Amino acid sequence: MNKLKLTEEYLNGHSTPGDALLFEARLIIEPELHEQLQHQQQAYRLINQYGRQQLKAQLNEVHEQLFTLPRYARFRRWVFAIFRKD
Amino acid sequence: MAALTTEQLTAIYRRGFPQVARYVARHGGTFEEAKDIFQDALIILYEKTETPVNLKGEQMAYLMGTARHLWFRKHKQNNRETSLDILLETTDEDTEPTYAESKLLGYLQRAGKKCIDLLKAVYYDRMPMTDIAEKFDYSSPHSATVQKYKCLEKVRDAVKQKALTYEDFLE
Repeated sequence: MNKLKLTEEYLNGHSTPGDALLFEARLIIEPELHEQLQHQQQAYRLINQYGRQQLKAQLNEVHEQLFTLPRYARFRRWVFAIFRKD
Repeated sequence: MAALTTEQLTAIYRRGFPQVARYVARHGGTFEEAKDIFQDALIILYEKTETPVNLKGEQMAYLMGTARHLWFRKHKQNNRETSLDILLETTDEDTEPTYAESKLLGYLQRAGKKCIDLLKAVYYDRMPMTDIAEKFDYSSPHSATVQKYKCLEKVRDAVKQKALTYEDFLE
């Protein structure tokens, strides 16, 4: 856990300059740590993609509701009027 | 910050979508194009903003600016022009998951939904640890933080095991 935390702080630029320098030195002499850092970056990327997928799904659900449910009929007419060709 | 509820998103949609639709329609675009542009612009706003999204004040200006930018970019691409601008703007974050990543995401959801949801709350929704502790039933922000690193380790090790291609790391 300590390595994960150190790596996270380093990647976020939250380490002190001294700690950052030390961490960079370790990255050079410990190939394993360097490899873990790359995997950790990939993990953050995956989490971000998951978050985005969930938000996108939620937005599609809201869109579906707004353009099908009777209670939003006025909103729909208003929006469709925007696309009507005069 | 916290993830938006369906009620909040509905209010946001009703406020923002007509404005984006008007812009897109004025430029000869369709309803479907307006939908894609609005949703993408809103996702970008959600990821960038430090304040809860409500589309009031400056947030609306930001949304419209992003929508115009996305529209412009889309049309440049339709003209098959690949300018340096477009290439530079396509950052790592904007890219869709690769096939290997989609498979890995599916695996992680099956293997530990609670873990990936906790990580999403921390990193994607930027929820404070005190709120996370409450939402995910941990006794304190500290134990939620310990759990966060356990979950992160799980994802990191899954990445390692599934051995994504070397090219994925170079992006």
